[in-house]
Amino acid sequence: MDNLILALGWAGLYGPMALGAIGSMIGCSLAGQAAAGALLETETGHGRYIGISAMPSSQSIYGIVVMFALNRELNIDNAAGLAAIGLLCGLALMFSAIYQGRSCASAINVSKIRPEIFGMSLAPAAIVEGFAVFAFIFALVISAGVPA
Amino acid sequence: MTYYTLVTALPHLPPLPQCKELPISRIALDRRLSMLSDADRQQLQQAERLYHQGDVSLQSLPDQTLVRDWQQQLQQLESPLIRERIQLKLEWQTLLAALRYRQQGRIGPEHFSGFGRWTGQIRRHWHEPLFGLDTALPFLAELQPLLLKGHSGELEQQLNAWLWKDLLFIERSVQFTLDTVICFVLRWGLTEKHLKSDAVQALEAFQHLTSQLLNTPAITQHIESAFEDLS
Repeated sequence: MDNLILALGWAGLYGPMALGAIGSMIGCSLAGQAAAGALLETETGHGRYIGISAMPSSQSIYGIVVMFALNRELNIDNAAGLAAIGLLCGLALMFSAIYQGRSCASAINVSKIRPEIFGMSLAPAAIVEGFAVFAFIFALVISAGVPA
Repeated sequence: MTYYTLVTALPHLPPLPQCKELPISRIALDRRLSMLSDADRQQLQQAERLYHQGDVSLQSLPDQTLVRDWQQQLQQLESPLIRERIQLKLEWQTLLAALRYRQQGRIGPEHFSGFGRWTGQIRRHWHEPLFGLDTALPFLAELQPLLLKGHSGELEQQLNAWLWKDLLFIERSVQFTLDTVICFVLRWGLTEKHLKSDAVQALEAFQHLTSQLLNTPAITQHIESAFEDLS
């Protein structure tokens, strides 16, 4: 049983980084595919489409920071806490990156038709980013309570 | 499979009344649709065939055989959403056919066969102006006067504009799927038909004008003298 708890503790340590990276891969891929299609259809503004498609990569960075904040000597007293914070934060980052990718793809699709709404079309993606920041900040705050 | 690249590679189709030319040719569209898998392309072709009824060989078949053929082809479509859109189009086609048959007095209700949920209602209420569908389909009331006046071109344009909006609504509600692509291609087909019908009208007007001009004595004289100079 102790070994299982310790294994979960390790998963909690690496979880934010791994799950955040998985989410970023999927999100960037979705937005990137949309950007590639928009390149065919537009004459200008290619740089900004590629720029938007990189938006979901921030979740990986948040994951790395949370991983370092949780990093400590693992023992039976702190493993469960680390697992709970790390895995839940990782899941939040992963889903936010995937859905941010979808929002970015929609933004690319509409701003291709009407370039003047480019900024406004990014609002949903920015809101999703906000939720990722919540998960990130509060993971840092709560990690201070986990015994070293 | 995801369709993100293909959907964003499709151009914007302006609403039918504002569309003066196709934003993408069929050749260029087909080149972009080559991103689809073979199975997806089959689904698309099947949907297009049913929606636009381009198969001339089928037009000579009796109505019942046609309806059976449509039903069989519809079964091969995997997407319930696209099936519903095509059913709606075929139902409207049935309604317009009933209005035309009745106006021409070619057949009675007992011999009428059509597609979809309104066929029984049409037979039962054959002698009512709008087959008792007034409340269910208020748009039908807008179309009937056009048919009575014989403005079949305008009637088709109005119906196409309505179907175009219906497809756009579906396209926007299911972003980045095969249904999005199919709805776009069906809308492209409606736009092409709309522009072609406009071109036919323009050609007719041009021919009328040229025949009028050619019958003008001064112009005829001028042409004759030009031919004499040439010879």
